[in-house]
Amino acid sequence: MIKFEHVSKTYPNGVKGLQDINLEIQDGEFIGIIGMSGAGKSTFIRTINRLNDITEGQLTVDGVEISGLKGKSLRQYRRKVGMIFQSYNLVPRISVIKNVLSSLVPDMPFIRVMFGLFSKEDKIKALEALDRVSMLDKAFVRTDQLSGGQQQRVSLARTLAQNPSVLLADEPVAALDPVTAHEVMDDFRRINEELGQTVLINIHHVDLALEYSKRIIGIRSGKIVYDGPVAGITKDMLDLIYSKDGADK
Amino acid sequence: MNKKLEAVLSKEPSRRVQYSITGAILLILLVASSPALGGANMTSKGFEIGWNILTGIFTPDTSLLFGLGDSGVAYLILQTIAIAFLGTLVGAVIAVPLSFISATNIVPRPVVLVTRFIIMAIRTVPSLVYGLMFIRVTGPGPFAGVMTLAIVSIGMISKLFIETIEDLDTGILESLDAFGSTLFQKIRYGILPQLGSDFISILVYRFDMNLREATILGLVGAGGIGAPMIFALSAYHWHQVGAILIGLFLLVFIVEILSDKLRQKILHG
Amino acid sequence: MKLYDKLFDAEQFTLTNGKTVSQKFTRTPLIILFLLIGIAVSVWVTGFSLTMLVTNIAGFWHIFGSMFPPKLSYFLQVWRPLLMTIQMSFFGSFFGSLLALPFAVLAASNITNNRGINLVVRFILTVVRTIPTLVSALIATYIFGLGTFAGTVAIFLFSFSFVGKQLFEYIETVDMGAYEALTATGANAPRAFVTTVFPQILPTYLSTALFAFEGNVRYAAILGYVGAGGIGMILNEKIGWREFQSVGMILLSIFVAVVIIETVSQQLRKHLS
Ligand SMILES: Nc1ncnc2c1ncn2[C@@H]1O[C@H](COP(=O)(O)OP(=O)(O)O)[C@@H](O)[C@H]1O
Ligand SMILES: [Mg+2]
Repeated sequence: MIKFEHVSKTYPNGVKGLQDINLEIQDGEFIGIIGMSGAGKSTFIRTINRLNDITEGQLTVDGVEISGLKGKSLRQYRRKVGMIFQSYNLVPRISVIKNVLSSLVPDMPFIRVMFGLFSKEDKIKALEALDRVSMLDKAFVRTDQLSGGQQQRVSLARTLAQNPSVLLADEPVAALDPVTAHEVMDDFRRINEELGQTVLINIHHVDLALEYSKRIIGIRSGKIVYDGPVAGITKDMLDLIYSKDGADK
Repeated sequence: MNKKLEAVLSKEPSRRVQYSITGAILLILLVASSPALGGANMTSKGFEIGWNILTGIFTPDTSLLFGLGDSGVAYLILQTIAIAFLGTLVGAVIAVPLSFISATNIVPRPVVLVTRFIIMAIRTVPSLVYGLMFIRVTGPGPFAGVMTLAIVSIGMISKLFIETIEDLDTGILESLDAFGSTLFQKIRYGILPQLGSDFISILVYRFDMNLREATILGLVGAGGIGAPMIFALSAYHWHQVGAILIGLFLLVFIVEILSDKLRQKILHG
Repeated sequence: MKLYDKLFDAEQFTLTNGKTVSQKFTRTPLIILFLLIGIAVSVWVTGFSLTMLVTNIAGFWHIFGSMFPPKLSYFLQVWRPLLMTIQMSFFGSFFGSLLALPFAVLAASNITNNRGINLVVRFILTVVRTIPTLVSALIATYIFGLGTFAGTVAIFLFSFSFVGKQLFEYIETVDMGAYEALTATGANAPRAFVTTVFPQILPTYLSTALFAFEGNVRYAAILGYVGAGGIGMILNEKIGWREFQSVGMILLSIFVAVVIIETVSQQLRKHLS
């Protein structure tokens, strides 16, 4: 369970990324986060795995206050919270499976890390993750030979291989065409249903968010303006979330 | 808006003026450079030598061309390749740290200015000067050639390495961070694999260039196929000159094709 | 490779859902083996020795140190040969690039529709490009006698082959639509070339020629070694006489000249692209 209590985030330059956020996220939820560009969606999602630090309030995950985590404990925490970015962040000139295997590295002994000696179990783990996103047949292909959608799936597989309990995704389909975007979103849905992982996705595109999420969080100017089921999103609500002055500080 | 456009257009001098100015400058420079033609002294002897070299190429000294001993073309080619290969490797060993401390995304600007100045200075000194300096260190022979090429390669290798380092995709590091990697793991799995193939392709390219350089090191006694060629030339052994020139051509030509293929494979799979 | 894959079994992976995939045996050991053999052979052939390098490297630094401070007054004797080097480079690069243009047109298969001519011209360009500049300079001194002309010829040959190759490869990528449209209306081929293709290739052509010139200045500095004129002559002489402060001055002058020329030329090339 993820719990925000009076969480605020002010960037060093004074911009208020998040203001007084209060909410709870139960295990296994599928949440779409919507809002205009600059509203604070990325900031919200990045605080959950501590790519951003919060400046006020309390953020607890499974009962642990995460702003207290440092060094090794922080890295261990991040193993449980996988993150996917809009850019695929894969090394282009190595094979797909090597990219996927890299997410297993933090759990390996030093010598194996140093020489890239992956055990057979690790490789099977990586291959199964690839199979989950229908990319098994591309496992030994060079990553730069794949299309954008395929690369985003590999990126998803890399995160799955570390077996996280929470999946965070920051605009994962923003760079993809509509058909491919749906395919990748289908993968997220399947993972959420079959493995029961909590999924939080930032989506700029409202239709996709409404189609796939069970719960919607609407952010405007760093504040939560809607938090509830998809059914509750009315035309007026959308106007509020996406109103022109929505990004004003 | 339209007025603005017109103003910009009228500012641009007409093509004709631009062309004539360029032409005039070129002409002046050309006339100023004409002393370059000095020393032309084409005697009938020169013509004869030219003819002799040409016939030498078509009637090469076959015992030299196909000989397998220490003075045969095959061994000379092997030696030249060895000099270029080791020279490239040693050059890379020096260039890697130099490149990292010359990349703007790794060290502050002032440091970069200093290190780039050093690289530029290393690059300006002609290879034969290094050759003569290294002969004092290693004695004459191919070892001096290896060191010479190593130093000569540093400039270009680091220039290209730096570009690669500055083009690093930092998003990959962010992803590695997000799944809990240590600094060492980020370098090993985020940076090295990104740099690896580019670095190797740069080295293959430089090896190709070093091979050409290695053919002339013989001039200062630093080994390779160049030395026997000079002996043959000065002794007027045209058939030997022909044999060596053929060997040299084949060597450079084949290595160029292979290195192009290899780089294609490395960069585009 | 086929044999290698037969020799070393592929690795089989069975997933929990029963699917299997196999991965060819890794090539890394093979590559490392080849590299090690290459290094071992090269070390043996060249007599490379790290210990000798470490013990004697002081000699290198000694020479380097004795170049400082460069003997500034010596510049009075340096500037003429330096200028001559630049003149040789300019002259050779200019005419080499000029001659490269018709050859590039003949080598480009989209303009010259004759496979035979294409191949012959490309072969000429390749042969000329393969011969190292210093070697052609050396041969030129035998044919034309010692002096700057031999060096100019060598630079000419290099620029010709370098620009020729780059240019013909570029011509082959040019958009041919306008050219075809014009020849279809009955314009003759040279005319169509000048009005449609030439403007497209001109910036690249000039920029390649400038690039060749830049490199040639650097390279021309050593042509004096074989008696082909320029600053290399005095460089050779002063090293022979161990007048290292003068050597330092020569190198400093080359450095400054190269930096100036590269800066100007790079600026021009940026302007062209
Ligand atoms: N590193 C940062 N430093 C300062 N301000 C930032 C930083 N990152 C984001 N911001 C600001 O915080 C606000 C929210 O940004 P973000 O979370 O990226 O929005 P979204 O993802 O919804 O487009 C924006 O005004 C943005 O300019
Ligand atoms: Mg964002």
